[in-house]
Amino acid sequence: MNANQASTQLTPLAHQKSTQPVVQLQDISLAYDAHQVLKSLNWQLLPGQVVGLLGRNGAGKTTLLETMLGLREAATGTVTLFDQPVQSLTDDNRARIGYVPQQSDLFQGFTPRQLLAYFRSFYPRWNEAKVDGLMSRWALPLDLPIGKLSGGQQQRLSIVRALAHEPDLLVLDEPVASLDPAGRRDFLRELVDQVLERGTTVIFSTHILSDLERVAFNVAFLSEGRISVQAPLDELLDQVKSISAPESVLQTWVSRHGGDVLSKKKLDNGHARWLVRLSTPIHLMDASIEMASVNLEDLFMELTQ
Amino acid sequence: MIADFFNINTGSTEPIYRQLIEQVRRRVASGQLTAGQEMPSVREVALALAVHPMTISKAYSMMEAQGLLQRRRGLSMVIAAQHIAAKSTESRVELLRPTLEKAASETSQLELRPAQALQLFKQILREGANK
Repeated sequence: MNANQASTQLTPLAHQKSTQPVVQLQDISLAYDAHQVLKSLNWQLLPGQVVGLLGRNGAGKTTLLETMLGLREAATGTVTLFDQPVQSLTDDNRARIGYVPQQSDLFQGFTPRQLLAYFRSFYPRWNEAKVDGLMSRWALPLDLPIGKLSGGQQQRLSIVRALAHEPDLLVLDEPVASLDPAGRRDFLRELVDQVLERGTTVIFSTHILSDLERVAFNVAFLSEGRISVQAPLDELLDQVKSISAPESVLQTWVSRHGGDVLSKKKLDNGHARWLVRLSTPIHLMDASIEMASVNLEDLFMELTQ
Repeated sequence: MIADFFNINTGSTEPIYRQLIEQVRRRVASGQLTAGQEMPSVREVALALAVHPMTISKAYSMMEAQGLLQRRRGLSMVIAAQHIAAKSTESRVELLRPTLEKAASETSQLELRPAQALQLFKQILREGANK
């Protein structure tokens, strides 16, 4: 199944006028030497979507996000942001993007006050009240060199910087890795507030599934260089079942009941376990197969292999 | 206060919107929530729980469709008019059926006897009462 079939159009929030994709990736391929990372990847994000990007370590999440932002050039394919090719993005549109990279890219010798003043000069829009509010709520020192701040503090500062100019597209690459649970909850509230106030489109990669489950209405799974599935998480939890039995029994069952097979796995006892996405609920009468609901972790394990 | 009103289990096979619906359904059944009582706004719940607002509005719309909530024009959602008192014990017990059916099927997969499973359920109920 490709991403287009799997993705479901969402009703945008009331204050969004356009349903033109904010981000569109078509046929993106990219390799590091002999290692093919992205393979004819297609992906699309609509205004106001909050999409959680899931993939194993080394699956290429950072590469994908950097390619999306034009920081890395793909061998083939096109990236379109706000209806413009990413290579020729206008300054106005560039100023509509907020990005929190996985590796802190803050100038270590600056103080937070100097850093914020510096970035402020680049952006036509800058929400001083939001910056002041976040800096004090998150107890960030304004006048210490950034190099002296803890990992968590630097990450928070990086988030403040990315939110200050009220972006329409927010790209977050493992933004909460060094935050404690209270800091993460604070950050998630800030994201929800952005979505409520501005209808911001958010892409968010993380391994902390509980965070993703709260704020990501949609989840996208990166596997073997492609987005294998993208769908509202609610729908996946409602529709995807794990079924196990001998393979031939599963085959017959699926051809009888329909449904998309998302993954297949052989078990030790000659049985197999498949994940199937059923469009209509089925009340299982058949004792020859075992059927169970799945959670986000199960989906992660099966769909990111 | 809203964080007490709703609570969320992440990592569950039950999506968040359904967890919210079932929590309201149980409180309406027990009479803790009655007709006309105001629900917190989508915005308040989304911010308090740090959950995407669309998840909350989905839960609210479904509760409206199921007759649990009523929408008042320009105002917040309220508990629907027909829920004036706690439901009978019988129909409240019936709300436990889906959860217990699941437990029953796992009991038989584990090849446990009914008495063994019931003993654990009784113990869990006692622990809950002592909290």
